[in-house]
Amino acid sequence: MEFEPTIVGFLCNWCSYTGADLAGTARIKHRPNLRVIRVMCSGRVDPTFVLQAFSAGADGVMICGCHPGDCHYLEGNDKAFRRFQLLKRLVAAYGIEEQRLRLEWVSASEGERFARLVDTMTAELRELGPLVRPPDLAGAPNPCPEVPREVAHG
Amino acid sequence: MSKESRIGVYICNCGTNIAKVVDAERVRDMVADLPGVACARTYKYMCSNPGQDMITQDIKENNLDRVVVAACSPRMHEPTFQKALEAAGLNPFLLEMANIREQCSWVHDDPGLATNKAADLTHAAVRRVARHQPLEKQEAPYTPVTLVLGGGIAGLTVAVELAEAGQRVHLVEREGRLGGNVGRVDLTAPYLDSARDILAEKIVQAETNPRIEVHLRATITDLQGFVGNFTATLSHTHEPDQEIPVGAVVVCTGYHEFDATRVERLGFGKYRDVITSFELEARLRKGRLETSDGRTPRYVSIVHCVGSRNPKYHAYCSRVCCMTALKYGHEIKSALPDAMVTDLYVDMLSFGKGGEDLYRRTSELKTMFLMFEKGDYPVVRKAEPDDDCGLLVEVQERLSGEAIDVPADLVVLMVGMQARGDSDQVARTVGISQDSHGWFIESHPKLAPVSTATEGVFIAGCCSSPKDIPDSVAQAQAAAAMVLGYIAQGKVQVDARYAQVDTDLCSGCRMCNELCPYTAITYDPDENRSSIQSAECKACGTCVAACPSGAITARHFTDEQILEQIEGVLAWSSSQP
Repeated sequence: MEFEPTIVGFLCNWCSYTGADLAGTARIKHRPNLRVIRVMCSGRVDPTFVLQAFSAGADGVMICGCHPGDCHYLEGNDKAFRRFQLLKRLVAAYGIEEQRLRLEWVSASEGERFARLVDTMTAELRELGPLVRPPDLAGAPNPCPEVPREVAHG
Repeated sequence: MSKESRIGVYICNCGTNIAKVVDAERVRDMVADLPGVACARTYKYMCSNPGQDMITQDIKENNLDRVVVAACSPRMHEPTFQKALEAAGLNPFLLEMANIREQCSWVHDDPGLATNKAADLTHAAVRRVARHQPLEKQEAPYTPVTLVLGGGIAGLTVAVELAEAGQRVHLVEREGRLGGNVGRVDLTAPYLDSARDILAEKIVQAETNPRIEVHLRATITDLQGFVGNFTATLSHTHEPDQEIPVGAVVVCTGYHEFDATRVERLGFGKYRDVITSFELEARLRKGRLETSDGRTPRYVSIVHCVGSRNPKYHAYCSRVCCMTALKYGHEIKSALPDAMVTDLYVDMLSFGKGGEDLYRRTSELKTMFLMFEKGDYPVVRKAEPDDDCGLLVEVQERLSGEAIDVPADLVVLMVGMQARGDSDQVARTVGISQDSHGWFIESHPKLAPVSTATEGVFIAGCCSSPKDIPDSVAQAQAAAAMVLGYIAQGKVQVDARYAQVDTDLCSGCRMCNELCPYTAITYDPDENRSSIQSAECKACGTCVAACPSGAITARHFTDEQILEQIEGVLAWSSSQP
């Protein structure tokens, strides 16, 4: 069975989440590997969230915000961009490959772009394989009932 | 959590929209045993009345204290399901939705993988909702005075509508006269009625209504506060600054015309008989349709799409130029029946009421239409001494495939609309956003076209995109109606989602002060603490992510809610054991 990476997406409510919804209304098919978490603004994404995602088993993290200049909150995406520069170094310090963390701008009208970003990142992570979680990032246990997973029907 | 929650989980089939790809029953079975889940159900249409009733009944009968609905996007039906909670006496913030339609069943083909994803998203929603807190909305008073920026047709309309409804208005115009761009126009398309008549009436109404205070040669330099409770600072050329309390601001700052010198081959600025549409309007208003040396033109060439529908300048259509050009054909042919009028166009966009009819009527006047390729503007050059015209316009004609020299004594450039050069300053001052062209962004292009990201700040007319007069007036009236809605309520509801500072944890570092895009955070030097004005906070959460002490909480987007969601979304799908 081919490796299916799990990607956690942090999407801003106003542009990127709406763009992801637009991919839906326009039926633009893409890989089912992204798990979206909605935040009001990409500026809300705390570096802790990203580390927690990697620690809890994500193979990749994608942060999406409004294009520069288009931020609903004027410049929250700019704050996210600056924080991302630091975050990249932090993640690299854990030995996590740089392809596993992306910051992308997706507007509310870019359903197609969103879909292609998901496909591209999924393909890259398939190539890269599962994240080997560094021991110092192995988080607390994540207890929940075990359930058998579905397998791809395709 | 002091006690385990009682969560109801509702998975919608959405007819077959969800169920044809996602196995909803299987998702239900997977989440039914999660900690805190009291019941889990599927239904064909959760948003229908029976669907909502099922949730309301369950809350009452099963003592549910939280609800998860896995269905369409929360952008679609979150308010619907919040109402279902409220109907059962449950705080609406105790709802969480999982988006398994737009972001799952509609975009994935593989039923197995889509079902896994839907289960993960629902699992995350269950984990998150367990951490939700009931939130109460707050109320604030509303100041029934409105600030209108811009004295063009849109601003005048807003001011007059509000004043006639008995409300006070400050109308601010940066120029020394009211009227804006419509004041530069002669007749209007498609019915050829006089712009002067349309405008004069509005200006008289605005100037004579005692409830409207007109500020000429004035600009806004600052806006503090929030909906219902703004303080605007006006700067006048010859007077001291003035601070006025207002409840709402309507931005009607209009547009600038495209600078035709940018398209060099059209010869604007080089040949005196190459003029813009606005210069032609000025001549038509004076009733003197002449060339630069005072002669009556025998040939008039009208070039469409100057600066519009061209990625090099502006990719968008300026919407009014085709109709205006047709109007020119009409006006020129009426004044000079023997003149030859040629329209050099890309596509004829004669949309809307009366548009196609004007196209037909102008065509019947025997004006000539020649088509050029988008972006391949004609080239204007001086005619030879033995030509009977002053200029020649060379066009690569698309339908014939030939290069044609069109004679011209006067070349009229249909200059498009562009965002004003000072629009970024206005946007910053009043807290609204701009698109890549500089136009102000509405909060929803279809459903909220005059609202903006800042509650209580509205936009109307051409400041948000090119529009004709009827559309600008309609938007102005819509904005006036929105403002009257607030005034009728007499108070405003402040969003319950805002950021809060725990003053015990705040170290007074002031890092958040600089990050806030609004003016919501204030610093108290005596206490060495920052605090957030809840009504001014728009809940972006940027300060929350930056606070080094973790002293700021984003209500309804708390760290623990999001961390639970992250764990939930990964609990079953993590690639590692």
